[in-house]
Parts: sequence; C-alpha cells; structure tokens
Amino acid sequence: MSVDVGALTLRGPILAASGTFGYGTEMPLLERRALGGMVSKGIFLRPRSGTPPPRIVETPSGMLNAIGLQGPGVEALIRDYAPKWAEWDFPVFVNINGESAAEYAELTARLDGVPGVAGFEINISCPNVEQGGLYFGNDPRAAAAVTDAVRKRTRLPVWVKLTPMVSDIGVIARAVEAAGADALCAINTFVGMSIDLNAYQPRLSFRTGGLSGPAIRPLAVHLAHQAARAVRIPVIGIGGIATAEDALEFLVAGCTAVQVGTATFVNPRAIAEVHDGIAAFLGARGLSSPADLPRYLPRD
Amino acid sequence: MFLVDARITGKRLVAREMYVITMHAPQIATTVLPGQFVNISWSPGPMLRRPFSVYRVDGERIEIVLKAVGVGTAQLLSMTQGDRVSCLGPLGHGFEFGAGPRSAVLVSGGLGVASMTLAARQAASLGIRVTWVHGARTKEDLCSESDGDDLIWATDDGSKGVKGTAVAAAPDADLVLACGPNRMLAAVAARWPEAQVAVETYMGCGTGVCLGCAVPLKRGGYDRACTEGPVYRASDIDWATLPSHLSYAATP
Repeated sequence: MSVDVGALTLRGPILAASGTFGYGTEMPLLERRALGGMVSKGIFLRPRSGTPPPRIVETPSGMLNAIGLQGPGVEALIRDYAPKWAEWDFPVFVNINGESAAEYAELTARLDGVPGVAGFEINISCPNVEQGGLYFGNDPRAAAAVTDAVRKRTRLPVWVKLTPMVSDIGVIARAVEAAGADALCAINTFVGMSIDLNAYQPRLSFRTGGLSGPAIRPLAVHLAHQAARAVRIPVIGIGGIATAEDALEFLVAGCTAVQVGTATFVNPRAIAEVHDGIAAFLGARGLSSPADLPRYLPRD
Repeated sequence: MFLVDARITGKRLVAREMYVITMHAPQIATTVLPGQFVNISWSPGPMLRRPFSVYRVDGERIEIVLKAVGVGTAQLLSMTQGDRVSCLGPLGHGFEFGAGPRSAVLVSGGLGVASMTLAARQAASLGIRVTWVHGARTKEDLCSESDGDDLIWATDDGSKGVKGTAVAAAPDADLVLACGPNRMLAAVAARWPEAQVAVETYMGCGTGVCLGCAVPLKRGGYDRACTEGPVYRASDIDWATLPSHLSYAATP
C-alpha cells in the first residue's frame, strides 16, 4: 500500500487532513496502521483564539466551518505535540499559516529541524482568516512568493494546499511548482454561506465558511485532476472522501495520495475503512500498490 | 470512548413531543458519568452526528431524550425496536460532586432533564439530599419522570407548580447543577456563579478535533464543549457570546 510522494515514501496512500485530526493526539478509536501520515491543525507563529460561535453548520451532504485557525501558536506546538510525533511510525506534516510571506518563512525556520516535524503543508487557502489565507492562494505571484519563502528555509518536503476558489487551478499549480513545491494538496474548502431564516442573517458568526464533505467531492475530483494535469509533481487529492471508492476516484484521476477530512468527524474509523477498502479493491484486481492503478491523466 | 452499533430497544413519550429512546450500548452504559453525552448517527439521517446527554442507564442500556424538532429527530423517532444507530461515547466532562456537599439543587429547563437523572442518582448515592426543579413552558411540556428527594415544578404559564422560571423557583443548596436553554443557564450564572451548568452548542465531531463546539470563556478564548465541557462552572462562560438558541442545522 506504500506510495511515493516525491522523495518521501508513505506506508499508505491516506493522510489525515489538516483541521480534522487535531494534533493527532485526540483520536483513540482510529487504528493508526491505516495512516500513511497526518497533517496537523493549521498553526500560526502566535496563538489565535479563532472565531466566535456558531462556527459550524450542516448543509446538504456537507458542512460549513469557520473555525478561524484557532491554535496555540508554534511554540506550544513544538513543546506539547512535536515530541509525541517524533515517536510515531508515520510522518506528521505541519500545516503552516501566516499573514505575510515573511511570517511563513519565520514559521518554517522555527519548525525546521524540530524532531517530529516531517514536512510542511503551506496553507494558502484558508477562507476563514481576515489576513492572509485565501489571498495568497488565488494570486499566482503571491502563491509562488510564499512557496519560495518556505522552500528557502527547509530541506524537508514542502506541500502547498490549494484553494478551489480560482478560475484556473492549473495556473496556481504551475506557479508553486516552479517555486519549489514538492507536492500539491488539492483542494481546501469552497467558500459558502448559509442563512438563518429566523434571524435574517448568516448562520455562521464569520458570515461565510468553508464547505466540506461529500457535497464537494465531484468538484474536488475535477480540480485535483486539473492540478495533476498541469504539473509534474505529485498531487494529493482532498475533498469529501468518505469511502474507499471516493479515494480511488482521486487516485485514478491523477492523484498520488489522498487526505480524508470531514468523514473523520462522522466516523472516527473512516481512515481505516478507506485504507482497508483500497487494499481490497487492489487485491481483487491483482494490483500490488496504489501506484499500479490505471490513471486517467491525459497530458495538456 | 466507544463506537457502538446500538440496537434500539424502546421508546416512550414523557412530555409533549418529548421522547425517551432506549438503546443497547453496554460499553457506554457501564462507563458513562453524569453530564456526559453520546454522539449519534443514523441512516438515513444527517451527515453529522447529533449529541444527546445520557439520561438514564439501565443495565446494558442507555437512554436519551429528544424532541421532535426537525426532520432529523423525526427520522430517529420513526425507528422501531431492533433498528440500529451508531453511538459514540461516552463523551465530554460531566458534573463533579466534590467532597462534602450535603444538599444539591438540580435545575432543568425543558429538554435539560436529559442530563439530570444520572446526576440525581449519583448525588443520592453520595448521601446528598437532592431537590430537583423542573421548568417548562406549560404543564404539558414538563417531563413526567423525575428523581431526587424533593421536587419543585415551575411553568411559564402557571399551569403546574410555581408560575415563573425554574431558576426563580429553586432554593439554595451546597451544590447547584443545571441544564437547559443557554438563556436559562445565564440566569443560573447570575444567581449562583459557582453552579455547574451543562451547555448546548452546535457540535461536529464530539471528539475534540473539529473545534466547532466553541464555548466562549470569560478569561478570553474558547474551549470545546465536547471535551472540556459540556459542564462548566457557570461564571467561567462569556454568556453574551454563547448563542442562546440553536436552529440546529440548515438541513435535517
């Protein structure tokens, strides 16, 4: 079940997606053998309290969230979580955030070399922060500048998590590839809104939120596929994966690995079930690894 | 924490549109503490689980209380004996009884009875004298089941017991535990800052990872109703920022 994401070999094709797995210490029910890796909750240099409630609302086959990247800041992450990660048998990527390219760079420099930190997922796609976030993700020059700033401060793998809120994801994908990204993660949540008809105002205090869950899966498969067609580096597919079949769609559409997110909220064993389902699918077809799957990836 | 494929074993009406559902969940039944909850999903049902306080434990069975408020709860209520739900729990941090209280007053509003029965029984087992104050809009909305040494009823319209709120009708005691609408809990906080209150929030995972169930704190910042809560010291909560009513979700 192992896959190669650039120079990094994962023991399985499934990672826990950022923001859906905390810092990896909160999930007692998951069989960890199923984890190819994990991406931490997004972190900034400094602690952030996040947005006021309500922060989540369920929508058809999905949910909107506006957590606002609540987190303890990088020093607490290094003190409280990284030592645990260093003992685990799968790599932990840190989802990094900043309000400027310089902040991303400073965060990377602080985390580089910390035992337990296996690599970076640059978040240029969070819709729920006032500064930074999406701004970097929908401008190819800004996206490249952040990627370059991070790249220059680490030799660990650098992944870039892309936003779907762009007119051509291939443009952003190529820009961050050229700036030195090792892989792309496609995609983050879509920006959405839900209205409370009793209050005549948005249900979320932040007004808008990021839409995740099965509702976005066909959109995500398409965008991950478009990103994969645009670049030579690996693409990690994300968006509404709840079953092995969902994950396999991303793999066949050109992804090297996948991340499972919102499904974990619903089913704490989702990652293990996706893992076992992929193994069964491959076994039934005489394929020995996810890399042997036929790909639908016509080159542009 | 256990994930149990729980068989529904019974259902009974305890107030207007308010039901108790019984399910077979042995691991949860033997470990749940007063004030803890379970996060339940069912099929066909909504995508996210829904949190319910554990109302009672009977051998290997647990009970939850719900009101038919939307399509989701209607789906759950339409299930019959033998149908199964996915039950995750026990979750959260419940009531604490500390050392030495001799009297406890339990204040519940409407569905807030859901977290009170286990608390009443635990208190009784510790030799604490329990007064339970039940509040609801009208006589028909009062839960027909109760526990404890003394009972006080309070209705908004005076159709049963004291006319007015449960908070106003409650006596003082060494220990105050409350569960009900957040507006009621804010009134509890004003009268008894040291009371322990079980809050209601929107909830995603129930396991501490989504940070959706944020509870605003007086000292600043938020923590998680599913993990540090749902029971808080009343004076710790920033009541002005905690949503006071939940129109639970955009879809059932």
